[in-house]
Order: sequence, then structure tokens, then C-alpha cells
Amino acid sequence: MITFKQLSKYYPTKQGRRYIFKDINLSLPMDKSIGVLGPNGAGKSTLIKMLGGADYPSKGKIVSPLKISWPLGLHGGLQGSMSGRENVRFVARIHGFTDTKVVEEKVSEFAAIGIYFDEPVKTYSSGMRARVAFGLTMAFDFDFDVLLVDELTAVGDTNFKKKSEKVLKDKYENTKVIMVNHSANELKKYCQAGLLIKDQNLHYFEEIDHAIQEYQSCYVTH
Amino acid sequence: MLNSSELTHAVPRRNAFKIMCDTVHALLMREVKARFGSSKLGYFWAIAEPIAQAAVLGLLFTLIGRHSLANVPVVLFLFSGILPFKLFSKLLPQLSLGIASNKALFAYRQVAPIDPVITRLVIEIATYAIVYLVIMTALAWLGFDVVPDRLLPFFMANGLLIIISFGLGLALCAAVQEWEDTPKLLAMVLTPMFYLSGVFFAATMIPAQYWYLLTWNPIFHIIELSRDAYFDSYTTPVGDWQYVMICALVLLFLGLGLYRINRVRFSA
Repeated sequence: MITFKQLSKYYPTKQGRRYIFKDINLSLPMDKSIGVLGPNGAGKSTLIKMLGGADYPSKGKIVSPLKISWPLGLHGGLQGSMSGRENVRFVARIHGFTDTKVVEEKVSEFAAIGIYFDEPVKTYSSGMRARVAFGLTMAFDFDFDVLLVDELTAVGDTNFKKKSEKVLKDKYENTKVIMVNHSANELKKYCQAGLLIKDQNLHYFEEIDHAIQEYQSCYVTH
Repeated sequence: MLNSSELTHAVPRRNAFKIMCDTVHALLMREVKARFGSSKLGYFWAIAEPIAQAAVLGLLFTLIGRHSLANVPVVLFLFSGILPFKLFSKLLPQLSLGIASNKALFAYRQVAPIDPVITRLVIEIATYAIVYLVIMTALAWLGFDVVPDRLLPFFMANGLLIIISFGLGLALCAAVQEWEDTPKLLAMVLTPMFYLSGVFFAATMIPAQYWYLLTWNPIFHIIELSRDAYFDSYTTPVGDWQYVMICALVLLFLGLGLYRINRVRFSA
């Protein structure tokens, strides 16, 4: 269960406060994986960031007893000047692991990017970044209850997609996903429920199909 | 509704303090590697810089025929001013950019904006202590009496210096957030501070009617007080513990307050 209490998020602009979310009171049951829908700039990434603790609400708060991952995405999370291995080591340390060797090997194995693992992340292609970012969460035995995924599965080759799909499915029993993706098919593959961002508010749908229908009737011009 | 204990696993929960310690440790490893790992000369410069500075000033004083300043051997006198000032003038730019240069890491909820600031504080203090020890050991080997005559006030003066730098550094983090040219202004201010902090002179060496030009400066007080503690032969006529403590408290409050207010904007 993730509860939004009187949550508002705005960004200051020259024309005054621009609200992304306004006075949201909502509980997500989290018994199903959720796909987040909304047009560009609606606040999908902001939502994921706030859930992951990388950004703060302007007002109100998000409460949950669950263990939520950091936002897994192409931006943020991995530092460009550090190598993949150093990034993994850093994340392992901040999560309280003292022996980082095991984790490093696991991620290296999952990402399978060879010698690039010891090169700075800024030299990676977006697919390689995705592999490391994804391997990071998967190889750690964090036992997250909720995994936040921001447009991550959109990149990567067929092999990697298959691999990550399998891992996600394996962890399904315990781990739910909150996912942002522009492809409705991708969302359907991983998520059963939907969350639509509309009029600075969040609308939860038990069925992803209903959310997609609603999304298309609101935002997609025919 | 799901029971929370159904979903949470047997991973040991850490308290906030432990998480902070783990994070600072992780940042420390990163920062030390970035700073000293790239060139082996990193450690060398940390020691060579104050020595070069002392050498130049020492040469000047020797040329005008001085063997002691305020009853203290020139070399010891200079180091007892240069080293604390070095700590101050290194901490401010380092701390002020601590938040701005680590923004990518705030994607992890464990990393709070203050963590990199604390990390840099730890690194600079450790470097300072090592440099102090190395230089004083070398001087002891050359036959100088390098042990501070009164240890407790000596450490207290250094502690107050650290608190002042930390408070100012945190306040500057907020300034950097607001205005990105802050580091340039800071560099401009730090240069005259070198001359106003009594690095190469003591209060007894200037006429009493001009003391008011310097006594507003807590760093001047700290260097005076630490020399007073270091050398029994020197007694400071101006050093005021009370003034320094008030400055330290006010600046620490200012820094923490500004951090608290800007906490959310730091990670955006």
C-alpha cells in the first residue's frame, strides 16, 4: 500500500507556480504491478522520482511500509565519471553491504558488457547503461517490494529484453513494478493495473486496459 | 489492504544514523579516489603547498633579520598560522560545492544533500591533521620544540575553527544554489582574509590602535588563541574565546538553518 496524503507538487516558473499534482489523496493497493500513463510533461518521471525519494513533494507526503527501489532509469542513478563497477560498489555501500565484491560480480554477470564494466559510465551507450542500471537492482538481493522503472525496458537489444523480462517475472511473487513506458504493449506485458495522470490528479484503474482506453480517449487525437 | 509485515523481508533495517554513516563511508571512498587517486601527486601537494608558503614568508622575515616573531621561532610561528588558515581556506570552497557537484547521487534516497558536505569535512580535517603531524615531525627532527604547550585550548581553537567553517560552508551551499558565481566571489574574499587573519603577524606586532581593523574577524581570534595555547612565550592581548564561540554558534545556526530551508531544492 502506498498512500498519497494531500500531495501537491509544483515547479516555480516565471509565470508563477506550475502545478504538476494538486491535493492528491489516494491509496495504491500494490497487489498488482502498475503502469503509469500520461502525455509528455504530465509528471510521470516526477511521480516516479517522488516515490523513489529522489525528489520531494512540495506539500503533503507519500507514506508506505513497503521497500521501494530508487528510480531505475537512464538518467540519474549512475554517475558518468565513475565506472560501472564503482557505481555498483557505491550503491552496495549506501545500502549497508560491507562486502561489495559479490555484488560487483553479480552485476557484471547480469549486465554482460565485458571490459566496459571498468570504463566510465559516460562512455556507455544507452543500452549498456540500461543493462548496468537494471543489473544493479536485480543482482542485489535487496528484496524490494516495489520496483520503480522509468522507460528502462525501452532500450536494450532482444537478448537483454528477454533476460530482464524473465528476471522481472521470476521476482513477480514478491516484487511489484511501477513502470513508465510510452509503449502500451510493454506496459501490458508487465502491469495489470494502470495509473493515469490527468488534470493534475492521479486516477487508479484496476485493469490496465481501462487505463489505456481512458488515456487514448483523453489524449490521443484520432 | 496488505499487511505490511507480509511484504517486508528479513533484511536488517538500519536506523537513520547507520544509513548516514554507510552513505558517508561510500562517499568517502569515492571522493578520496577521485581526489588523490587520479594523480599520486595529490598527497604531495597537500604537504608541499603550506611548506612553500612558509618558505617564502620565512625567507622574507629572515632577510629583514628576524629570528623570532613574538618570542617564537619564525618557522613555528608561520606554520601555526598558515596551517589553520589553510584548513579554513580549503574547507570553504570544498564544502560550498559539496552539494552542487554531487547532485546525481541524490537519486538514491539514502544520500541526503548534507552527506557529501560532511564527507568533505572529514576528508579535509583528516588531511589537515596528517599534514600538521608530518610538518611538525619534520620540524621536531630539525630540533624545534613542536609540542603545543597547552593541548586542550589548542584543540578547542581548532574545533571552533572547524565549526565556523562548517557553518559557513553549509550557508555557502545555499548561496551556490541561488547564484552560481558564488565560488568566484568566495575566492575574491579569501585572498584579503589571508592578510586579515594574522597568518604572518601577531597582535603584539601591530600598534594597539589598529587592532580594531582585525578583531571583527573570528579567524584572527582563532589563530591568536591557538598561538597563545601553542607557545607559553606568547600571550595574546586580543584573543577572545567568548567572541569566537558566539561566532561559531551563530554561523552553525545560520548554516543548518539555510540547509533546512533549502533541503528540498538541493536535490531538485
